Amino acid sequence: MSSRSVQYTSSPLLASKTPIWRSQFIVACIALGFLALVARAAWVQVIDSAFFKRQGTVRFARTLELPANRGRVLDRNGHILASSVPVPSIWADPDEVDRDPAKRQALARLLGMSAQELDRKLQDEDKNFVWLKRQVDDSVAQQIAALKIKGVYDRKEYKRIYPEGEPVAHVVGFTNVENLGQEGVELTFNDYLGGRPGSRRVIKDALGRVVEEMGETVPPVDGRDLQLSIDSKVQYFAYEKIKEAVQNHRAQAGSVVVLDVQTGELLALANYPSYSPNKRGVLSGAQLRNRALTDTFEPGSTMKPIVVGLALEKGLVKPETPIQTAPGRLQMGTATITDAHPHGVLSVNEVIQKSSNVGTVKIAMQMPPRDMWEMFTQLGFGQKPQVPFPGAVSGKVRAYKTWKPIEQATMSYGYGLSTSLFQLAQAYSVFANDGALLPVSLVKVQQPPQGVPVMSAQTAQAVRHMLGLVTIPGGTAPKAQTMGYSVGGKTGTAHKTEGKGYASRKYRGFFVGIAPIDKPRIVVAVMVDEPTAGGYYGGEVAAPVFSQTVQQTLRMMGVQPNMAVKPLVVTQAEPESF
Amino acid sequence: MSRLSALLFLAIMASAFLLVRTQYESRALTTELDRAQREARRLEIENDKLDVERRAQATPLRVEKIAQEQLRMRTITPAITHYATDTAPGARP
Repeated sequence: MSSRSVQYTSSPLLASKTPIWRSQFIVACIALGFLALVARAAWVQVIDSAFFKRQGTVRFARTLELPANRGRVLDRNGHILASSVPVPSIWADPDEVDRDPAKRQALARLLGMSAQELDRKLQDEDKNFVWLKRQVDDSVAQQIAALKIKGVYDRKEYKRIYPEGEPVAHVVGFTNVENLGQEGVELTFNDYLGGRPGSRRVIKDALGRVVEEMGETVPPVDGRDLQLSIDSKVQYFAYEKIKEAVQNHRAQAGSVVVLDVQTGELLALANYPSYSPNKRGVLSGAQLRNRALTDTFEPGSTMKPIVVGLALEKGLVKPETPIQTAPGRLQMGTATITDAHPHGVLSVNEVIQKSSNVGTVKIAMQMPPRDMWEMFTQLGFGQKPQVPFPGAVSGKVRAYKTWKPIEQATMSYGYGLSTSLFQLAQAYSVFANDGALLPVSLVKVQQPPQGVPVMSAQTAQAVRHMLGLVTIPGGTAPKAQTMGYSVGGKTGTAHKTEGKGYASRKYRGFFVGIAPIDKPRIVVAVMVDEPTAGGYYGGEVAAPVFSQTVQQTLRMMGVQPNMAVKPLVVTQAEPESF
Repeated sequence: MSRLSALLFLAIMASAFLLVRTQYESRALTTELDRAQREARRLEIENDKLDVERRAQATPLRVEKIAQEQLRMRTITPAITHYATDTAPGARP
């Protein structure tokens, strides 16, 4: 086979008829195109790279918030009084939400609102985020999710739960929907309890999984747990007892304060009426008031032991000094001071035991006003309590220079000055603590603080003896007695002020006492406001609450009874073998 | 020379594949870590929630109610209590 070689370049078939510059032009165009690409690449990667990097990051990087837990509030034994748990909150994007009226109706029903209300919430289509209802129950959120309505979502939020409920509501307080304290220790210790959320930058893939960490992670700082001095059991029955008393005596309100004498810790602070912090739909001011700390009143006869204690301290009287109280009346200028019953000659002990106004005034008038004022102030009357609580009031004790003799006289039996129940309890702790005043703490104390001496131990013991006499037959409050524990205290019954004067039939009954009286462990102060049934004297309405509270508290604290009790324990004797 | 180039080329390729693989593994591990961390947090929250629920079941109010109504118990008083003193050496008074 032979072939003829053909020179392609010289092939006449290939001889171009078009001019050569056209092909050159095309090549130049392509080269230019490549140049443009190189220039663009340089632009993107070198010159304006920051912008493109940023745009890229925006598309795959996400900042995740790392939520911080709000600290828990615990009682002295570590029981939870308040804790945060995540609950679903329902939100919607109004633009996207389904218009189907049936679905909307069902949603409104689950949210517990009318269809109109829901429509109103979804009206604003400019927004793309509207809360429909915050902090709903898990079951409700599940039902809403089951409806599969477009544009309705849920999101976890923290909700504060208060397992103890009503009894401790005034102490713990509550937070708002933003987790900020509004009342009680939730408010005072808001910064301590509150955490700081952290954040982290991550890269997420198309499936929403975190695939890479970017840069620094800011760890969340959880809030700290706060351990109160409150004992939830003591708090519970103090609340139950005052509730019972208020209901039985058809009173307006009542409060109880229980203090640990040795450490100054507040074991219980209960008020009735109270509220359930978990259901705060409608709350009245009366329910919210922490009366033991925010209400002041004239303390009435509960002031007498303080005045008598001062007279003992100054050496003006002795417990046995006789005081003439007959005929049960004492004229001071135009005013007359009277006793409930005329008593005749009473010893100082009996003045307290029988709560004689005339006797107390006669003792008080031997002292200069300044001494009385100083004692009141040292005991904390008219001073802002050091306890960290919102709205704790200081009460009122006027400057001694402005006291008229009649005012000094009425102050000795508790009129013309005002105090809170908390202050009264604190003042009595001085008698219990052998004359030293301890700062009261709402937070559990590790080391008992040093007390400030206010009076001598002998005086305090002498006053305690008098307080003990009040609770035995012949005193004003035999109902304060308990089984097994010796107690002592002072009753008070004060007219309530109304307008400019005193209301004729409105009273407050008090009892402030110490137990066990010879080796004190607790001070309990009880106040019943406006009792209208079953008596109104402190010895009748408040003393029984004191008695029950003391009985239970001392038992809980493991204090052994110091008085003989007729045992009701009957054990079966083993039959003798013979 | 061309042999060396081929060798270097292979090394680069191997290194590149290894890089891709390592990156992939690292991402998978990060995902796993994140999932585990989320699970830990969920369990922590669950624990908190159960703690609260347990406390809600053991409030003094509920305990007293059940003790009195279901178990027919009554509040103790010193009259029905026998106090024993521990006489062993070292016992607290």
